[in-house]
Amino acid sequence: MSIPFQLNGRPVSFDGPEDTPLLWVVREHFGLTGSKFGCGIGMCGACTMHVDGAASRTCVLAVGNVRGRAIRTIEGVAAEADNAVRKAWNDLDVPQCGYCQSGMIMTATAMLADTPSPTDQDIDRWMTNLCRCATYVRIRQAIHAAARSLKS
Amino acid sequence: MKGVTRSVGPSLGRRRFLEVAAAFGALLAVPLDPAVAAKGDADADIELTDWIFIDAQGGVTLGLCQPEVGQGSYTALPAILAEELDADWPAVKVRWVMGRDAYKIQFRNEKPSQKEGASTSTTKFYARLRVAGAAAREVLVRAAAARWQVPVSDCATESGTVRNIRTGATLPYGALAAEAARLPLSSTPRLKTPAEFRLIGKALPRRDTAAKTDGSAKYGLDADVPGMLNAAIALSPTIGGWLVRINNEAEIRQQPGVRAIVRLDDGVIVVADRFWQALRAVQMLDATFSPGENGGLSTELIDRLAEAGLDAEIGVTALARGDAPRILGQNPDQVIESRFSVPHLAHAAMEPMNATVHVQPDRVDVWGSIQSTDASVAVISKISGVPEDKVHLHIGFLGGSFGGKIAPDFVAQAVRAAMAVGRPVKLIRTREMDIQHDHFRPNNKGRLRAVVDKDGYPVAVHARVCGQSLFATTRPNWLTKTPLGDYDESMVDGIYNQSYEIPNFHVDVIQTPLPIPVYFMRSVGSSAGVLFWESFITDLAHKAGIDQYHYRRHLLRNNPAALKVLDAVAAAASWDTPPPAGTARGIAFDTYHGRGGSFVTHVAEVVELVRKGDGWKVARVFCAIDAGLVVNHNTFVAQIQGGIGFSLTSALKSEITFSRGGAEQSNFTDYPLLSIGEMPEVVPIVVESDRPPQGVGEIMVAPLAPAISQALLHATGRRPDRMPFRPDVFKATA
Repeated sequence: MSIPFQLNGRPVSFDGPEDTPLLWVVREHFGLTGSKFGCGIGMCGACTMHVDGAASRTCVLAVGNVRGRAIRTIEGVAAEADNAVRKAWNDLDVPQCGYCQSGMIMTATAMLADTPSPTDQDIDRWMTNLCRCATYVRIRQAIHAAARSLKS
Repeated sequence: MKGVTRSVGPSLGRRRFLEVAAAFGALLAVPLDPAVAAKGDADADIELTDWIFIDAQGGVTLGLCQPEVGQGSYTALPAILAEELDADWPAVKVRWVMGRDAYKIQFRNEKPSQKEGASTSTTKFYARLRVAGAAAREVLVRAAAARWQVPVSDCATESGTVRNIRTGATLPYGALAAEAARLPLSSTPRLKTPAEFRLIGKALPRRDTAAKTDGSAKYGLDADVPGMLNAAIALSPTIGGWLVRINNEAEIRQQPGVRAIVRLDDGVIVVADRFWQALRAVQMLDATFSPGENGGLSTELIDRLAEAGLDAEIGVTALARGDAPRILGQNPDQVIESRFSVPHLAHAAMEPMNATVHVQPDRVDVWGSIQSTDASVAVISKISGVPEDKVHLHIGFLGGSFGGKIAPDFVAQAVRAAMAVGRPVKLIRTREMDIQHDHFRPNNKGRLRAVVDKDGYPVAVHARVCGQSLFATTRPNWLTKTPLGDYDESMVDGIYNQSYEIPNFHVDVIQTPLPIPVYFMRSVGSSAGVLFWESFITDLAHKAGIDQYHYRRHLLRNNPAALKVLDAVAAAASWDTPPPAGTARGIAFDTYHGRGGSFVTHVAEVVELVRKGDGWKVARVFCAIDAGLVVNHNTFVAQIQGGIGFSLTSALKSEITFSRGGAEQSNFTDYPLLSIGEMPEVVPIVVESDRPPQGVGEIMVAPLAPAISQALLHATGRRPDRMPFRPDVFKATA
């Protein structure tokens, strides 16, 4: 049975088992590979996408649960001109290996929509994504920079 | 220094470059297409050197032979070429290159090979790339001078053009490349003086950032080859165990999408249309493995073996200066002794190990996150029977490695799967397989004993280290031979080559052979050795009642280069001003010697703990490094920031334990990584020196743990002696 949803603003539908994780549907069926596989248990956040605006760990999110909902991936963020979060990430050269950064940007974007002026404690609470290169110093700086630019 | 060579005509090497280069270009920009890779549209390129390719439109492509694992090689190495070439830096393209002598480096007594590792990319290629860039620039200038019929001294270069300084006329490199390519290259071209540098020594933005923030950067995981199937693997839970039988083969075969079940000696690969199908089928697998000989292997046993070695009468001597054993033996009541322990560790890069393989009768193509190019080619060739020069690696960005993607066992497994089904196969290890079947950083225990003089400074020291040998397992010909047996210098990294003045110093080693697969991990043996050594120095200074910084200064008094770095970190941290209440500090120093004498980098760190609730937290880290000339300050600072976080993960969290012959940890639940809330503020201090570039990537790792343990001694009165430092040692005592 076909599962319709929106992918970066475009209506799509998936013909396959409902319990397939959204991550693999987006990567393998729709060819958007910016979202990564890191742990498979929803812990590291490399697979983070937005489901109706909420940051979601899609390696453990069955596609059957997003029927009719709006999915946004890093490719959707990248399609926006002047995206403040991405720009802050670029200005500060946040990535090292870069593998976790799609998920970081998706989580940070969701956080700033909810909490436009995050404190360091807010960042600690929201940003539970993991980075083995430990780019956390620049991630924190980039979030504050993006928050400033979104306000102005 | 190797001279610059140029292949004449379209040699095999050149063709291979073009194929691979085209594929790498594709890898960075658009989905992979082997048809494009095989044909290539780069035939218009004119090759000036092994590294520099110019098309008729003037587009300059620079070769990169060292994988980008996050360290910044994709920016720093091409920048060195572009600097001497006077290329238009923002406009140059970068392509992966392989297969030529120019791309190989030598480690110790190994034959030269192409690989990335040991913090050597910039160190080993700095001079080579400068000469290549400068030699190419010279032939472009000579071509222009001939065209204008003027002396070369009338020609200047800038941003990819040659300019006639008398007439102001300009010629782009693209218009000169064909003529330049016919001129002989100098092996001793004039190099720029540092004052002329426009790129080297600046803070250059990374060339890969935009692709890494818009989802377009292609990693091994993202390879997409027409006709490709996907595979998941289950390996023997016991090290050295083997597959006996699959008990539900018929059921697995009936699962949606499953195409094949591939038996390995030590595991099972399920190949399916989609990865998710393969993974689900592997999770349903009911296979019987024989535990083999190692079913009794446990951490308790590993610890007991190493412990016994610490107290053995004799070890294999790695260093004997003066007569430490006699002095210690004659003053048994005055001996100060400390013991330390570190566990096995997993690399746990964010991108799990994966490889995509397409085996054809006359060629093999492999896409993957691979850190050791030539070693992988050799393994692929051996398994497939296809000659090495017909093996084509397409290496995109690596999602981290830290030494974990050098051993090519995951590549070998993908080759077997692809051969079994006769189609391209992408094999992805789950996080569980990635951690449990890693090649681990070895365990180690240390016992340090000293007799001190009346002022409390060491007169005689005996350091004994026991544990699993990295070299014995992976590089037997790197072992140092002695009359009493072989020893592995990496087991005493940061001890046998430490910098303090100790008149009588004895270092010995006892290997405890274990069947556990081990490998190099960021900072290698120094991640244990420097903990042992610097923590012991902490104990001696503490006993002597001497300030930790000044105690180290005294021991380094005749080493101005080391003192400069130690003083720089102390000044930045205001060490001589007592910390405010609720803050405790620790200081540590190390001189990191690149393997085989490849470089010398000095590093000193100060850790500040702050009191938080009922415990102490690592709040700020000062890190001073003298690594000679810094090519790219931006990525240099990033390496310090990230390296401190990487090291803090090991210090606070990381431990692989074994039971029933296998690793007990399997995902980030039980092998956790540092989170952003635990990341301290990092203050990098670049100590400039006029030496050429020295190693950077691993250097900041080792001193952090001993600086933390010293700060804990000041904060709590207790100094932890085993890694990782669990939360209880951070509990406040008052």
